This record gives sequence, C-alpha cells and structure tokens, in this order.
Amino acid sequence: MELITSFPLAEIFILFISAFLMPFFKKDKHIKIISISFLLIAFILSVFTLMFVFQNGPFYYAAGHIDTILGIQLYIGPVEALLSFVFLFVFILVVWFSFSTIDAEIQENRIKLFYIMVNLLAASILGIIFTNDIFNGYVFIEVAALTSCGIVVVKETQENIKAALKYLIMSTIGSGLILMGIAFIYAFTGHLNIELIHQVVLEDHETFQKSLLITVALFTAGLGVKSAMFPLHTWLPDAHSSAPTASSALLSAIVLKAFAFFLIKILYRMIGFDLVNQFSILTIILILGCCGMIFGSLSAIFQKNIKRLIAYSSIAQMGYVFFGIGLGSPFGAAIAVYHMVGHAVTKSALFMCSGLMIEETGHKTIDRYKGLGHEMPITFALFTLGAFSMIGIPILPGFISKWYLSLECIHLDKLLLIFVVLSSSLLNAVYYFPILINGFFGIENLQDKEYRSKKVPVKKTIPIAILILAMILIGALSKNILDFISPEFGL
Amino acid sequence: MTLLHNYYESASIILFGIGLCTLMLNQNLIKKIIGMNIMDTSIFLFLVSKGYIAGRSAPIITENYQGVNAYVNPIPSALILTGIVVAVSVTAFLLALTIKLYESYGTVDLEEILKMKGDDHGVNNKLPFS
Repeated sequence: MELITSFPLAEIFILFISAFLMPFFKKDKHIKIISISFLLIAFILSVFTLMFVFQNGPFYYAAGHIDTILGIQLYIGPVEALLSFVFLFVFILVVWFSFSTIDAEIQENRIKLFYIMVNLLAASILGIIFTNDIFNGYVFIEVAALTSCGIVVVKETQENIKAALKYLIMSTIGSGLILMGIAFIYAFTGHLNIELIHQVVLEDHETFQKSLLITVALFTAGLGVKSAMFPLHTWLPDAHSSAPTASSALLSAIVLKAFAFFLIKILYRMIGFDLVNQFSILTIILILGCCGMIFGSLSAIFQKNIKRLIAYSSIAQMGYVFFGIGLGSPFGAAIAVYHMVGHAVTKSALFMCSGLMIEETGHKTIDRYKGLGHEMPITFALFTLGAFSMIGIPILPGFISKWYLSLECIHLDKLLLIFVVLSSSLLNAVYYFPILINGFFGIENLQDKEYRSKKVPVKKTIPIAILILAMILIGALSKNILDFISPEFGL
Repeated sequence: MTLLHNYYESASIILFGIGLCTLMLNQNLIKKIIGMNIMDTSIFLFLVSKGYIAGRSAPIITENYQGVNAYVNPIPSALILTGIVVAVSVTAFLLALTIKLYESYGTVDLEEILKMKGDDHGVNNKLPFS
C-alpha cells in the first residue's frame, strides 16, 4: 500500500529520466522505443494509482517526506488519478501514431529532439495535475510551456517559427501573471501549499478581500492565456495548425486541459466554492466561456485549412470547459473535468485523422476532400465519429457534457445560457457536416484526381481506432465517471 | 499614504506595469523580450521584499545560533532563485527563436512579419527538405 502512494511521483520521475536518457542513443529507432516504453511504464503505474484511489479514496504524498509546511506535497484525488490515466493513454497513442508519420514531417536530425520534448511534456503535465504546491505547479507550467513551444518549432518552417514565437510570448505573459499571483498569495497567507492557503483564506478572508480578488484575477488571466480562454486565444490557431500532426494532437488534447485543470484547483481547492462565488470573476469566466463557444465555432466556419478548423474548434470546446467552471457549482466543475476527458480523447483522434488526410491528398484545404470517404473509408469513418462527438450526437461524450451543462443551467436558473449551448452545438454542425457530406457523397469529384497513395495502411489507423473506441466507452460510462469524480467537488 | 510607505511593493507593481505594457504593446521582438525580463524582475523584487525584515541576517548559522528572531525568511529567496532560472531559460529560448525568425524573415518587427503572409494555407509543399 505504501508503495502505491509513491507511484505518482515515480511517474513524473521516470518520464524526466527517460527524456535525459535519450540523448545518449544515436538511432532514431531506439529513441522511439525508449519514449514509448517509458510512457507505457508510467501508464501502468497510473492504472495502479487509479485503482488504488478507486478503492481507498484520495491520498497525499509528501515528496522527500518533508513535512507539509516546507516540503512539496502531491495530492491524488479521483480527478487527478483519472486525468493522469487518460492523458497518459492519449500520449501513448499519439506517440505510437507519430512513429509512422513524423519521419515525413520533420527533418531527420530533429526526431530525437521531438521525442525528448514529448517525454518532458508528459512529465510536466503530470506534475501540473498532481502537485498540491502552487510554486511547484508554476515550475511545471513553465516546463510545459517551453516544451510545447519546442514541439511546435521542431518543424522548422517560417510559419512554425512565427507561430512558436507568438505562442511563447503569449505564454510568458501568462507565466508572469501567474507568478505575480503566487507572490501575492504568499505575501498574505505565508503558505504555498494549496490546502494550507485554503485554511488561512477561510479564516481571514475578510481582512484581505481585495488582494484575494486581485490574486484570483491574476491566476484566471494567466492560466486563461495558456488554456486559450476567449480573447486570449490568438496564439492557438497558428501554433496548432502549423505544428506536426502529432504535436497538434498533444497540444490541443492535453496541454490546454492541464492548465484549465490547474485553474479549477486554484479556484475551487485553494479559494473554495463559497468564497469564489462571492467574486464576480466566475461570471466573467462564464461570459468568456460563452463567447469562446460562439466565436470559436463562428471562426471555424470560415476556415479553409482543416487543421485551422480543428484548432478553432478547440477554442470552442475549451469554451465549454470554462462554461462549466464559470457556473460556480460543484457539478459544473465536475462536468468541466468530464468534458476535458472526453475532448482529450476526441480531439487527438480528429487531429490524427486530419494528419492522415493531409498526407493522403497532399492538400490542407477542405474543398480538396470531396469524395475522400471513398478513398480512405476507415480514416473518414473515424473522423465522422469524432465529429459526431463534437457536434453532440447522443451517447458520445460531447453530447453528454452538453446535456449535463444544460441540466445544470436549468438547475441554477440560468435559462438563457441553454440557448448559448444549443446554438454553439448547431454551429459545430455547420462546420463539421459539410466536410462529412462532401466526403461521402462527393464521388463525382473523385474523377481526374491523382492521390499520392491509393490506400492508407491499416496500421496507421489503429491508434485512432483505439482512441475512438475509448471515446465511445467514455460516453457509455459517463455516469460511472461522473459518480467517481464528483465527490472531489463535494457532491 | 500606505502606498507611499510600501516602497518595494509600489515600485514592483509600477515595474510590472511597465514590463507588461512593453511586452504587449511593442512590436519589436527584442523590446518584447526586454519587457518580459522587466516584468519577471519586478515580481522578484516583490517577493524578495516580502522575505526581508530590517536588521535581520540571512539564515546561515556559522558559530552560534541566535534564535528565531535574528534571521529572515529564506523561502522567498529560494523561490526567486527558481524564478530566475526559469526566466533565464525562457529568455534564452525566446532569443534563439528570434534569431531563427530573423534568419528567415530578415526583420524582428512583428508587424512587418505579420504583413508578409506565407502561402502555406493550401498546399503542403513547404516542408524544408522536400
């Protein structure tokens, strides 16, 4: 039992160690094997952690066995265990997928760097999820920001360098705001541990009400930049569309979510539900979430480039997460987490499908994909299922989070917000359906066209198929997942 | 009046504002990087002033322990050390990217770069080695 509680720290450590092992190997093949095998080990450990949390409930782990006030503490509750499990699962499948595609996308001498970055990114994401210490969280956030810029710029075109620089500059603004928030909260509570800060805040929040408001605003803006909250999302479409396919899948599916989850931690575990509801910050998050849902979808409609379209769709989907957070109720936060899980699996599958389509046709624009459903039926069928989840067809996770968000709106007596959810859902249909309909029924466009290869090997579609299967499972098991995570939010 | 007496806090917030404005409003990348450094330094000033108590020494015990009240809180300094390391690495990465950008665009002005639109919106033939 004692051993299992140290697994979360072990996951972070072995991923860091694997990243530092890789430079010692020369052949790309070895690098790939190291990358995926260490991710697999971490994944197995996360399965054990998940089972342990499922049986025994949440637990704390003091890194280095130093007491709480000085040391770094990890907290592993149901949400943390579930998110680490899902994210590592996505990481493994994306890395598996990248084996067959990365060679064609980036220069040969960059492949090693790519896998080093991926493992560092995995470690830092796990760190952000597990940590119970805000400064430790800040360090992991910085590592994640640098490595995610790294996997964008690993493909050295003009476009990529520009996008990565834009991303890094926005990211540094966010980090600066977060660090200022940490400095503020340390100045008036004297603690860095989330739990201890929570106690102090509960006791004397009246003496520093305004400072607390500033702190929450700083954290919200800082983490909002990093997780593409509506007016701060400008870096996302460039970065996600120009990166190699595997990188965009990771960035869109996982990196955004980790920062949003850290925001949930700050708002609901550090400040607490009762107190945070007194601030107007939640209303602002809610409104920005609504704007993101509508604006992201509206911009996606006018996109010609498929990866840009999916990137804008990510902004809309992050809007749902912020919508859930902004509702200010425990169940809203639980749905936000559920949406992160569902979207992580779906969006990575969509990006990988689009990568295969680009590889197959040699074009990034959507109007070239007419009749493609006959050319590459498996890939297109998987893309269709993923798109259905985004639109919100029942059973799939997209539908379930929209359904529960609407129910929660009724429960909280905010009926107007249902129209926002519904219209965003319709807008999703407006930009996904044309691709699907043209893909399956545009056979006349197939004539006089030469595709690079007649068939995508089935091997390449296996990771996507597994992800889509997992997506359907997440949809089918939605009740169990929500029951598992909602005690965390005091339900 | 309390604002005037909290010199460190006021100065660091003013510096933070200067840094943030430079970072966001300037189009020159080098100036942006300078702004980011000013912003980070202001936070270090804020944090280090929180750990400082007049008349006390650093918590390094050489010969005799002088009691709790003789020393300052070391944690903010430790945090700032970490913060400086992070800021240095981010600056290094930003400068490296700026050099790459200058090599391929010939300018470090972001506005001019955004005007030069690449035609990478349709055809996937811009791979560096294809």
